[in-house]
Amino acid sequence: MRNRRMVLFGIFRGAAAIFLALAVGAIFIFLSSKEPWKALQYLLIGPFITTGGSGIAFNTQNFYQILAAMIPTIFTGLAVCVMFAANEFNLAGEGCVLVGGFVGGLIGVYLNMNSGFHAVIAVLVAAIVTGLIMLIPSLLKVKLGASEMVTSLMLNFVMLYVVLHFLNFNFADRTKGATMTKAFQETAKIPPLVPGNSKLSWGFVVALVAVVIVSFFMYRTRWGYSIRMIGINKSFSLYSGMKVGSMIVLSQVIGGVLSGMGGSIEVLGRYNNYLWRDLPGYGWVGITVAILAKNNPLGVPFAAFFLAYLNKGCSLMSTHSDVPSEMIDIIQAAIFLFFAAEQFLAGTRQKLVIKTTHEELEQLEKARLAEGGSNNA
Amino acid sequence: MLEQLIASVFKADFLFSVIRITAPILFAALAAVVAEKAGVVNIGLEGIMMITALFGFLFAYWTQSWIIGVLGAVVVGALLGLLMGFFSFKLKTDIILAGIAVNMLGGGGTIFLLNMFTGLKGNTGALVTSNLLIPTFKIPLISKIPILGEILSGHAILTYLAFLFVWLTWMLLYKTPLGLDIRAVGENPDAASSVGVSVLKIRYMAILVSGGLAGLGGAFMSLYYSQGWNSGMVAGRGFIALAAQAMGRGEPVGAMLSSLLFGLAQALRTKVSGLQGVSSYLVSLIPYLTTIVGLVLYVLSTRRKTRKHQIQPIEG
Amino acid sequence: MEQGEYVVQMKGISKVYPNGIAANKSVDFSVKRGEIHALIGENGAGKSTLMKILFGLEQPTEGAIIVNDEKVHLASPTDAIARGIGMVHQHFMLVPSLTVAENIVLGITPKKSGMFIDYKKAVELTQEYAQRFNLHVEPDARVIDINVGMKQKVEILKALVRGARVLILDEPTAVLTTQETVELFHELKNLKEQGFTIIFISHKLKEIKELTDRITIMRGGKSVGVYDTASITEQEISRKMVGRDVILTVEKDEAKPTEVVLSVRDLQYVNEWGKRVLDGVSFDVRSGEIVGIAGVEGNGQRELVDILFGLKLPEEGTATVGGENLIGRPQAAIRSLGVSYVPEDRMAFGIASSGSIEENVISDRYHHRRFNKGPFFKMKTLHEESDKLIFDYAVHCKSRKQEVGMLSGGNIQKVVVSREFSSDPILIIADQPTRGIDVGATEMIRKKLVELSREGAAVLLVSADLNEVMELSDSLIVLNSGKVVACLDDGNWDDIMMGEYMLGLKRQSDEEIGRSCHA
Repeated sequence: MRNRRMVLFGIFRGAAAIFLALAVGAIFIFLSSKEPWKALQYLLIGPFITTGGSGIAFNTQNFYQILAAMIPTIFTGLAVCVMFAANEFNLAGEGCVLVGGFVGGLIGVYLNMNSGFHAVIAVLVAAIVTGLIMLIPSLLKVKLGASEMVTSLMLNFVMLYVVLHFLNFNFADRTKGATMTKAFQETAKIPPLVPGNSKLSWGFVVALVAVVIVSFFMYRTRWGYSIRMIGINKSFSLYSGMKVGSMIVLSQVIGGVLSGMGGSIEVLGRYNNYLWRDLPGYGWVGITVAILAKNNPLGVPFAAFFLAYLNKGCSLMSTHSDVPSEMIDIIQAAIFLFFAAEQFLAGTRQKLVIKTTHEELEQLEKARLAEGGSNNA
Repeated sequence: MLEQLIASVFKADFLFSVIRITAPILFAALAAVVAEKAGVVNIGLEGIMMITALFGFLFAYWTQSWIIGVLGAVVVGALLGLLMGFFSFKLKTDIILAGIAVNMLGGGGTIFLLNMFTGLKGNTGALVTSNLLIPTFKIPLISKIPILGEILSGHAILTYLAFLFVWLTWMLLYKTPLGLDIRAVGENPDAASSVGVSVLKIRYMAILVSGGLAGLGGAFMSLYYSQGWNSGMVAGRGFIALAAQAMGRGEPVGAMLSSLLFGLAQALRTKVSGLQGVSSYLVSLIPYLTTIVGLVLYVLSTRRKTRKHQIQPIEG
Repeated sequence: MEQGEYVVQMKGISKVYPNGIAANKSVDFSVKRGEIHALIGENGAGKSTLMKILFGLEQPTEGAIIVNDEKVHLASPTDAIARGIGMVHQHFMLVPSLTVAENIVLGITPKKSGMFIDYKKAVELTQEYAQRFNLHVEPDARVIDINVGMKQKVEILKALVRGARVLILDEPTAVLTTQETVELFHELKNLKEQGFTIIFISHKLKEIKELTDRITIMRGGKSVGVYDTASITEQEISRKMVGRDVILTVEKDEAKPTEVVLSVRDLQYVNEWGKRVLDGVSFDVRSGEIVGIAGVEGNGQRELVDILFGLKLPEEGTATVGGENLIGRPQAAIRSLGVSYVPEDRMAFGIASSGSIEENVISDRYHHRRFNKGPFFKMKTLHEESDKLIFDYAVHCKSRKQEVGMLSGGNIQKVVVSREFSSDPILIIADQPTRGIDVGATEMIRKKLVELSREGAAVLLVSADLNEVMELSDSLIVLNSGKVVACLDDGNWDDIMMGEYMLGLKRQSDEEIGRSCHA
């Protein structure tokens, strides 16, 4: 009984955090917009509902676009879940997405293959490369104790400039105006899942499969178990005989693999060439996703959906009213702060715990008396 | 080509630009130093610089005074520090996450706020007038010295301030009671609280000062360096500052030297991008690679000091 | 106004913690002005709690404190310091990179021009007090560079500078070498001559006899008497300190030990401050017997256990299990030799508190073939294992999914032992296995230990609980100052004998030890 009540409280607390974050956004909307209610409408229900001449309809294309936007963030969200589970703040997911996209893209351009396996090979190679890159911050941390946060942040920039270098000097398509690679071969592109221009590719299915696999990995295998225990109590894990260092490295390599997959799938599923010239930002969104999902892989698609929905709402809001789409960053930051605040509503939680304990003790007492009575009979 | 490069490096105007480029990084690096000394990890510097750059410019624009702009940026920076402190110390959000949140805020949030206040989208080009900018300053006498004069004189006032702050930060940390308390709290909070020093209060002070220093960096960017605000202007300087702090062993002078190294790398990159056949991207790599290498060397050197006395479980 | 004879009086002090444990039971404790007063008792006797109350770190549940003839309420150390009470903690509260002078003035830093540290004044202050009280320190030295003896002087100066007239020293000689101890005693006698009052918490009888005027002996949370040091012998002190009020009896078949499992030879360990904590420890533990290590805490037990579990490296010496080396091996290897370990600090090392019971009980075996099929766990087998362990060890919980940290102390320990005892170990190292847990869990764990040893396991029991170690052990080893001072294998031991060995009053000869310890 206690567990259920605490679970409900957890949900309530999360909802309260999100509500407060949206309220913060709403405050800014009211401060800045001449038509705040219209803006809010677009933000909150715009993505799903189109009001047209024929009344209210569900906007399917928007829906597909939201799902498509989720693809990279599901992968980075999963990556963060795995890495942060070991209580290590590796932030190089950003760069790995970029490198993954680049490597995948290059294979898409230059490797001549005639079958659908082309895309598979591209994604696989990209994932392996980014997985190997993650050996750097993780080994430096495990062997030398160097802060994985600083090394991973720096690595993001190293990856960015290495990619930019090769993009500009070796692989740029000089016939195009902007810097990008030549076009992908058709066999490398990831085919669309639904008709229309939503860019919702089969990558979405792969993302969902990844969710299931990572979930199984974290909760049904010995490696995932070990990673989680290390994150909870490193000494305990050491004393229990776990190979703490290897598991930490493994968790970050997996984080790299997932981020690289996300990058390559996104590039090959959405674009015709590789054209990212800056860090795309999916790594940071991935952190928000993981926080909302409370580091649970199964929660990642929902969190990613929620954020993609808000993102769409913000862009609709900026198209149809006077509020810039960058509102999403303000809301994201607020969600972040409130959601991750352990002490948020802690007072209420404390009272709830006390109340539940009292009730349980009363029940135990009643049961004991009843038993005593029946014994005496 | 290499000779060409070397020749241009040793010109006075190159060294001038190194100093100019270093200044904002230095402010942020000092911000990182002060926070870290109190045991507070401030990775929100990037976001703070973005936001304070914006507000510094806006305040200057509204009052037509660059001084108010700079001061406003400092105040906003301190307030952001306070925000991070509140969420981290009181509501127990992990301080690293609080920093990431501030960075997010600094990303799109600034574009939003600019629009909200001025209706402009993404940059302030339309608003910039020269009276808003931090004036430059010719040091009398020194400016007459050949070469040295060209390097040292004619910088913006805030540039000189940045280097002055190295000394001021050192003074704060090592010569004031507040600095003593900060260092005590950072190293051994139990010892500090056992003599009645409020650990909480000191951490708030530290992150406030940190935010304020980062605010100076932001003001520098918008009111001098880029002459206005645009959404991509900070470009990772907040993160480089973290690296400068780490490589500088957490000390003001060390942070200054590391910042100069990064300034040099940035200046080189601009020079090099003009030359044929050399990739400015590879040059851009230098500061980041240097940090990783520097950090590794630093860790190796401290490890040697502790006696191999017990088998340490991997430290977190 | 004439000052009363007693500078500090604590009357009827009781301290009961929320978990029900009574650390102090109606204790009366008084200190005369200008005396050196020893507060002595075993660990857990309540002396640390009593002094924490006097220094404002804890609040008494009942009782009154009178300082300088005035009833006071000490809500925090600041109040205590204001009343002239200073405390020198066992673990130094110093900031390593600051200088001695800076550490001393931390929190009361002298200023010049309102903004800057008047460092010169800080140094002057330091030197003034140092000279006045003969506590020689180097004001400009950084704390990280000075030795333990000087660190302690700095701590004493910190208290004196803040106006302390009553100094509480908590086990001050625990970290000092012999020479440093001699110096300290000089300084303390000097302070006494200058009218200061000193409360000296310790369990080292020789030192107390040498230094102090009066002794208060505590046992089981109560005061068992106040005596003039000169008129009580060490034996008598030992008897009062180490007597058991309730004798626990444990049903035990006679031990029939067979081959040697754990063999420890000539272990030497010097800690990071240069103190020799283990000085040539040797003993064997055989299959089928429980060997207990008795001794007042701080005599090397902690370091011994850490070395055996691969957490520390000794300077010299060997330790083997079944002939295989233990020293410096990773914990996984040590466990695979058949060693189980019940840590003293169960929260820090024994469990992952936000994990479920199931996740905790399988942490040493989750990788075994029987729990895995290919890459995946055999969830059903895991569940069966956890349920069985929960049942066998009577862990009171709702289900195996319950968060371990939510359980009571006794149940948490049951979770720990259910894991450690069920891996078919050939050697069990149990460090304070029943500390701080309820009677039911205690009984169960002790019974299990005996059961396992009779089934063939070798058990090394380290316990500061005299009852436990005297009743459970088949052989007893007493550690004092890092040496084995007694090895008893005939079951003939009593409180008085144990007290004398533990407190260093008596020592067996090397032959006697060698014979019994099989070393």
